[in-house]
Amino acid sequence: MAKNLATIAILSGLILVLVVATNLLGVRLYDRIAINLCIALVLVLGLQVFMGNSGILSFAHIGFMGIGAYTTAVLTIPMRMKGMSLPDLYPILAGVELSPYIAILIGGLVAAAVAAAVSYPLMRLSDAAAVITSFALLVVLHTILTNWSEMTNGPRTLFGLPRATDLNLAAGAAILAVVAAVAFKESRTGLLLRSTRDDEVAAGAMGAHIPRLRWQAFILSALFAGIGGALWGHFITSFSPKAFFLKETFVILGMLVIGGANTVTGAVFGTIIVTVAFESLRALESGINQAQIFTEQVVGLTEIVLALAMIAVLSLRPGGLFATQEIGPLFSRLVRKKED
Amino acid sequence: MSFFLQFTIDVLALGGAYALMALGLVIVYGILRLVNFAYGELIMVAGYSMYLTSGSGWPWLVMAAVAVLMAMLAGIATDYVAFRPVRAKSVTAVLITSFAFSTLLQNAALLFISPRPRNVPLPEIFSETVSFAGVITPARNLITIAATGVLLALFSWLMRRTVLGIAMRAAATNFTMARMLGVPANLIISSAFAISGLLAGVVAMLWIGRIGAVVPGIGLGPLLIAFIATVIGGMRSLQGAVLGGFVLAFIDTTLNFTLPQDLLKFRDAFTFSLVIAILLWRPEGLIKGPASGQRT
Amino acid sequence: MLEVAPMLEVAGLQVAYGAIQAVRDVSLTLAQGELVTLLGANGAGKSSTLMCIAGALPAAGGSVRLEGADVTSARPEVMARKGVATVPETRDVFPDLTVDENLQLGAYTRRRDTQGVAEDRARMFEMFPLLAERSGQPAGTLSGGEQQMLVIARAMMSRPRVLLLDEPSLGLAPTIVDQIFEMIAALKRSGLTILLVEQNASKALAVADRAYVMRLGRIAAEGTAAEIAAATDLKALYLAG
Repeated sequence: MAKNLATIAILSGLILVLVVATNLLGVRLYDRIAINLCIALVLVLGLQVFMGNSGILSFAHIGFMGIGAYTTAVLTIPMRMKGMSLPDLYPILAGVELSPYIAILIGGLVAAAVAAAVSYPLMRLSDAAAVITSFALLVVLHTILTNWSEMTNGPRTLFGLPRATDLNLAAGAAILAVVAAVAFKESRTGLLLRSTRDDEVAAGAMGAHIPRLRWQAFILSALFAGIGGALWGHFITSFSPKAFFLKETFVILGMLVIGGANTVTGAVFGTIIVTVAFESLRALESGINQAQIFTEQVVGLTEIVLALAMIAVLSLRPGGLFATQEIGPLFSRLVRKKED
Repeated sequence: MSFFLQFTIDVLALGGAYALMALGLVIVYGILRLVNFAYGELIMVAGYSMYLTSGSGWPWLVMAAVAVLMAMLAGIATDYVAFRPVRAKSVTAVLITSFAFSTLLQNAALLFISPRPRNVPLPEIFSETVSFAGVITPARNLITIAATGVLLALFSWLMRRTVLGIAMRAAATNFTMARMLGVPANLIISSAFAISGLLAGVVAMLWIGRIGAVVPGIGLGPLLIAFIATVIGGMRSLQGAVLGGFVLAFIDTTLNFTLPQDLLKFRDAFTFSLVIAILLWRPEGLIKGPASGQRT
Repeated sequence: MLEVAPMLEVAGLQVAYGAIQAVRDVSLTLAQGELVTLLGANGAGKSSTLMCIAGALPAAGGSVRLEGADVTSARPEVMARKGVATVPETRDVFPDLTVDENLQLGAYTRRRDTQGVAEDRARMFEMFPLLAERSGQPAGTLSGGEQQMLVIARAMMSRPRVLLLDEPSLGLAPTIVDQIFEMIAALKRSGLTILLVEQNASKALAVADRAYVMRLGRIAAEGTAAEIAAATDLKALYLAG
């Protein structure tokens, strides 16, 4: 227990340091990066809740992020703007204008509800079948977001969300996500689910109801994704369904895998490392583009580096940087060693 | 009558392309039990090879042959970069590395070539139309049907009549036993990836023939189609993959004719929901693959 | 005088599945043309020993030598090429391949010798007329006994120098078991070196030159077939195993 608290304290402390440092620096660019980082933390921790504990790869996560973002958009875009940004919206919803903070929560709950409704039968599947169905689910969600013009304005950009996500809110959400992820991992459900990850047959024989355990994790995971998406929506204020597809899936997955999917610590460190690397590479890319060294725009460099890093990490250290141990126990052992 | 013939040609042409896409995915899955998410990029590689050689002045067939060869090499490279280093470690790891390799190839195309579509040279006949028995159809469709027929016959001959083919079928049921008979694992796996690349290369010619241009994201469509078709037909059966391709083409063509316009845009949602439903109710697909493991 | 290296020499072999050690310390030798049987109860580590020699399992320690050359943890395809044919306990026919295709794969290591392969195939069909009748049928449709004949015939198609046979009598009717042991005796007479893993000790000892008894991953006794057959503690070894 103390070790779990230590893990939470260290990881939350890390996020707090980030907030304080960003505020002290007062550079707007860093502000943007820090908020993005915190939102990414919510998303990656959400994926960790399902993937890390069940051992099953899910591609659908970003789809639930999209659900969260669009839900909060429909609920919060000011009435006078709705005519422009959502021209086909159902009349019942046209008059709704909630506070973003409530709408963000609703966004998470709607994503969780959709996950609960569609995913139960999928939880029986393992291996390739599970991955292909989750991939199929992402495509289904993406197709719906792209074509349900009444709710999403179709493939066009949706604009007009109030800007409500600041660094404090994003960091608060990230800390809550850390606490929830650790709490779930150490809960009875989490422990049972992890035992199914290591040996499906044995855990089943012991009486673990595998589909239900996975389902619970999946719903919680979708809740995180929905809230993350909603936070992002109120940060970026305009987006299109393209923002919730394979490219983003790849980034989120890369963060989790590089850090280590099995641990909350891995999710946090993976997100931080990849975000820092990403932003540096982005800066490099735009530097090259501004200097006009090449006739064409340089794009894709960032993704190439991330792809290579993922392959390298998985080949050399298949469990990621933090494969099995959380930082709490690791840290306390380090301290004890010094005392000896 | 002529509607019926038109419909049949449409289904056969589309289904032929789909069947080849599915077969290329299943040949690797059958042996390694691993999904190659970078499969679509083999089609992209063939497309860009056509674009890059378009100024060479070579005859079209030579350019096409080079493009198919490049797709085969990219297939074998997939094995070495994404599969071999992590194959023994975990299934999830391979799925992620092949996804990463797919992103790598796509972004390499973005970075080194262009995010914008690039024209691909096509022979005249691809844009001509043929009319017979009251039906007017693009010659491209007939070429696709013919190419599918030839390729499927060749493939079936390879798998049934050559030692390599027999060894590959054996490896798909019991890899260790095949190795204990002296069949080298690396040869089988590389061959599977090479065949996968060959099929993807030919599909690229037929597929790009419809649009005449290549973009970095061109592989996603065929990858998704291959997924659906293999799930319908059975993940581990070569015949199932072919059948799944034609069934999917039948469904797609029928939906195109029957769905009202405002529902048609949800077609992908329908077909992918179908995939999920099939995996749930009949996880082995229409045709059960070879039995895994042993019988006593 | 120079001593000839034994056909197969296993020294201090260890095999582990994760943390569980199935084979702790096994040493055995097979001279050219010898039929040696490896006896022991279920779970004594016999099959693991055999599969490790075949290259299908990595060795955690010790060595395997073939005519003096080190082949420890060689890949299974390399062992096949060096003339070691394996018939695993699980009777692994390729169920979707025809009987004929199964045999053809057996000759994979010498596939360029088409004439020799054709001759051997004819010889196998002569020896197993039942297989000849069903040559075009998927191997999965054969009965258990027929499948056992097929895997042995398939192993022989490579013209091996050493044959590793794992529990060829497992789950078969007594008359078929008799046939299989007759066949093993005939293979021995042809000069083949055979390592036979068996639970049916009396049958195995009747055809073998020498025997080893395994217990809990170690060799518990060794001797000529007659010595082991005469040893009174044989049953005890099994029961305790």
